[in-house]
Formats: sequence, structure tokens, C-alpha cells
Amino acid sequence: MKILSISTATNQLSVALNEDQRVITEKNERDERNHSEHLDPLFQEILTENKLTLKEIDRFAVAIGPGSYTGLRIGVTTVKMFASILHKELVGVSTLQALAAGALSDQDLVIAGIDARNDNYFAGAYLDQQEQAPICVIDDGHYHIDTLLAAIKKYYEDHPVKELVFVGSGFEKQQKLLEQLEIPYRFGTQKQNEIHAGLIGQLALQEKPVDADELLPKYLRRTQAEADWHQKTGKPFGSDRDYVEEV
Amino acid sequence: MINLDSKKDIRILAYESSCDETSTAVVKNGREIESMIVATQIKSHQRFGGVVPEVASRHHLEVITQITRKALEQANVTWNEIDAIAVTYGPGLVGALLIGVSAAKAASMATGIPLIGVDHIMGHIMAAQLTAEIAYPALALQVSGGHTEIVLLKDPTHFEIVGDTRDDAAGEAYDKIGRVLGVNYPAGKTIDEWAHRGNDTFHFPRAMMEDDDYDFSFSGLKSAFINTCHHADQIHQELNKYDLAASFQAAVVDVLAHKTIRALKQYQPKTFIMGGGVAANRGLRDRMEHEITLLPENIKPKVILPDLKLCGDNAAMIGAAAYNLYQDGKFADLTLNADPSLELPYADSMLNE
Ligand SMILES: [Zn+2]
Repeated sequence: MKILSISTATNQLSVALNEDQRVITEKNERDERNHSEHLDPLFQEILTENKLTLKEIDRFAVAIGPGSYTGLRIGVTTVKMFASILHKELVGVSTLQALAAGALSDQDLVIAGIDARNDNYFAGAYLDQQEQAPICVIDDGHYHIDTLLAAIKKYYEDHPVKELVFVGSGFEKQQKLLEQLEIPYRFGTQKQNEIHAGLIGQLALQEKPVDADELLPKYLRRTQAEADWHQKTGKPFGSDRDYVEEV
Repeated sequence: MINLDSKKDIRILAYESSCDETSTAVVKNGREIESMIVATQIKSHQRFGGVVPEVASRHHLEVITQITRKALEQANVTWNEIDAIAVTYGPGLVGALLIGVSAAKAASMATGIPLIGVDHIMGHIMAAQLTAEIAYPALALQVSGGHTEIVLLKDPTHFEIVGDTRDDAAGEAYDKIGRVLGVNYPAGKTIDEWAHRGNDTFHFPRAMMEDDDYDFSFSGLKSAFINTCHHADQIHQELNKYDLAASFQAAVVDVLAHKTIRALKQYQPKTFIMGGGVAANRGLRDRMEHEITLLPENIKPKVILPDLKLCGDNAAMIGAAAYNLYQDGKFADLTLNADPSLELPYADSMLNE
């Protein structure tokens, strides 16, 4: 099965072509603000180099979040359209699971996170499962560092893991708090701290495809405007779909 | 191969997502709407009293694949019958624009159909092409929430701004005074209705009306309006909301009509067009039509006021503008990006100021 996978979740743009488990090509590009300009040409490059067309891809995979909201939408919109128009399979993979997958080792707990500023992180914790996809033991969420570390400590008390591995962005600046945990830990290598589309493709192989219309980013956070409105009015958020009407 | 000599129909699938409407349409030969889908988010943004960009972007993404399919289904065509895919790439909210741009590029890549990037303002003006045939040169009064411009159309793809707002757009002023009157966003339609039930008793200022350029300013009017309301509040005086609306609208329409008529006299275009959300305003439509009937016969232009349903944001107008770009061979490639501050070029007369 040919899988084309992407991540636009962070400032690193990653695109890969996999044949089942094997990563055939992976291209990575650092661009702060231009995923929109670079994504499709990068796809084209990979297809041309491998003498393929989009029609020959069996499954599309994308990092569905968390991550940069705008970045996620560029990636998700693109693969939704591909899958919908070409009637191909589509899979969304957690950005954090994909990050964790690059740093797994037996008996370690991998904490994957993306810096969300002001000591907040989009984060989740994962364990190695040998042949299968890494299993999530602390749900992907938007956490203050204190909340995240408390959850890790609690998990550690109940489960013997050898070491904590922090991958992603922004954990280095929390070194002082990490020391206070009194649990052995290390940071990911530079390669592990980046998201790799090849890993997304591998994880996507084990997932069940979803309907292209239904695939949406996992933002893991309401907008400030919605949170304020909810607080002010006490009204439930409601389904996003109820707010859009065809006229 | 694109053969411009052939009589083959040109069908364009268009996308529009620059603000709070997600729209797709199939337009034949730049004139005929074969389908038009508009998914509006007004209900969502009414919670906040105005458009929240991040919320808008999320909603656009929720419907994009569905409304693509619907546009093709309603037009009863397949991708094989589409000659180009068009999309608004600016101006607008960057995150919102990016949904349409990403979707159109992906569709172009998946199907091999060429891509056309369209200026949103050019689209608003070209809504007229869906109503009647435009004779060139033409002059357009483009009035919306973000823009108030007088635009000279030399031909179907070469537009120049000859007059612009120095501060607020007319539509923006409507929304702001709407808030003072307790009218839900978007306020334009309600203010227009109220205006017809009242009289111009407040005589608000008509800024820059006698200046010899074609520029506008609405912030002074907005302030005068707000001050009048605040003052009345302080002395516990109840003002007639219909008269307030009528007075505000009279000031806006006076300035727009006065300057536009002067521009028509100078440029003597063959067609006069109105475009943008405020082009749906009854007061403005009636006034412009009336003023133009008073022009001397030899300079009286043909008047095209677009259908009310084409004044707001929609993809059909983007498909109409894209047809002209298609005929000119102006295509985009896969590096097309959203340009939130895209602007039509200014006329030399404006740059020399
Ligand atoms: Zn508009």
C-alpha cells in the first residue's frame, strides 16, 4: 500500500511516501510561515521523483493535531480534498503520537509536547508497544506544566518505567521543575524533537480510515472568544456544525 | 490545450472563503451560474458581536469537501467538465483565505485542472457580469465591510482604484453604529430598513464631499453619531432610532452618490456597476439609479446593480472574474498563497497626491 503522509503541525513541513512499513522518501523543510506555498510543490517533487501520480496513492495520512492551528488546517484541508476527489483512504494521526513514535524504547515513558507558551504545552505521554502503535497513557491535551508533571508523577508512582523522555519543543526551559520530579529523565535528540511524516505513514497503516468529510484537526483548545462567551452566558458550546447554515 | 478560438463552453469551479461565508459555485462562460452554495457562519459570530478569525477558519474547514461535491452535483457536472478552478486569494482574513486556497490547490493537483487566483474585490465588481453584459470602460462603486472604492475598469481584467476611503469602510461604519443602536451584527440590513421609516433630522456631517478627489471618510460621521447618542444618554433623552438610522444613511449615501456622480462625469464610462455587501442597500441603490437618470443623455452609462443574493460574499462572482482571467491566460501555480492585504492597483492620479 502506498501512503502519502504530511505534517504541517509545526514550523517544520514534513512529507513522506511509504510503501507499507517502509519509508521510501521523506522530505523535511523548515519554514516559519509558508507551508501554504511549499506543501503542494513538495508533494509534486516526491511524486515526480518516484514516477507516481496522486491517483496511484492508496492512502493519505496527516498529523491532525495538536499544533499550529493555521498549519494544521493547511495540511488537513489538502488531504481531505485529495481523498474526497480521488476516492482514496484517509487517516488522521495524533501529532504527539507521531512525535513519541520517534523516541520509543522499552521501559521508557515518552512525553511528547509542543510549546504553547506561558508554561503551557500541548502534550501527551506514550509507551512502547513493540510491533504496535505507541499506546497513550496520558491523553493528548492542553496542560500547564505543573498539571502535566503532576500527571507524570502519578503515572510513575503506579507504573515502573525506567526513564522519562521529553520530546518536542519547549521542555528544556523546564529543567528546574523536571529535576524536582526526582525521576530519571532525558531530552530527545534533535531528530527526535522533530515530526517525521514517515512515522505518520507507519502509524497510519494501523489505523482505520475515516470519511474525508468528517476529518477535522484536533485543536485541543477552544478559542478565547468562545471561552469568554461561554463564561459570560453560561450557554453550552454546542456542536460547531450547528453554527453554519446553508443559505 | 486551451483553444481560445473554439466555441466550447468554459466552466469554472470557484471557491470563496475570505471572511465568514464558505462558498463554491460552477459558472459557465463567466455569465451563467450553474450552481452556487453558500454556507454562512453568521449565527456563530453573532455570539461575539463580530467575526472572530480563528472561529471563521475552523468553520470553513468543516464544510469545504461537502460544498465542493454539492457545487458539482447541483450543476450536474463532473470534474471532467471543469476547465479551471478559481479561488479568492485576498484580501481577507489570512486563516480563512487559506482554507479556500489550500482546497483549490489540492483540487487542482488531484485533477490536473488549471488554477486561477482571484482578487476578492475584482470578484465583487464582477458580480455585475452575472446580471448583464458589461460594456467597457466601466466604473464601479465597490462598498463593503472592508472597502469603499471607486474603481475604473479599463477592460475585463485591468482595474484601477480612482477613489478610496481614508479611514473606515462604509460597511464597517454601519456595523459600528449598529452596535450603538443595539442591532445584531451584521447591521446593514436592519439600519437600511429603519432608515426607510425615519427622516434625516440630525444632519450629520458629510465629510470631504466638496473635495475635488474621489476619496471618502466615514470616521467623522461615526463619531458624530456616537456623540449624539452618548449626549442624549447623559441627559436621559430618548432619540428616535428610525430618524437616527435615516440621518446616518442619508449622510453615507449623500457622500457616496455625490462623489460617484462626479467620477462618472469625469471618466464617462459605458457602464456603471455597484458591488459589495453595501450594494444591497436599498437607499443607496435607489439614490444611484435616480442620480444617473439625471445625467445628460450623452454620458448616461448603462447601470448594473447585481442581484441582492450576489452582493454578499459568494463564489459565483469569483467564477465570473476568473473567466476573464482565463481568457487572458492568467493562471496561478501550486505556490499560490493567501495575501490578506491584496489590493487592486491605484490609478496614477491617486499616487501623485
Ligand atoms: Zn466581500
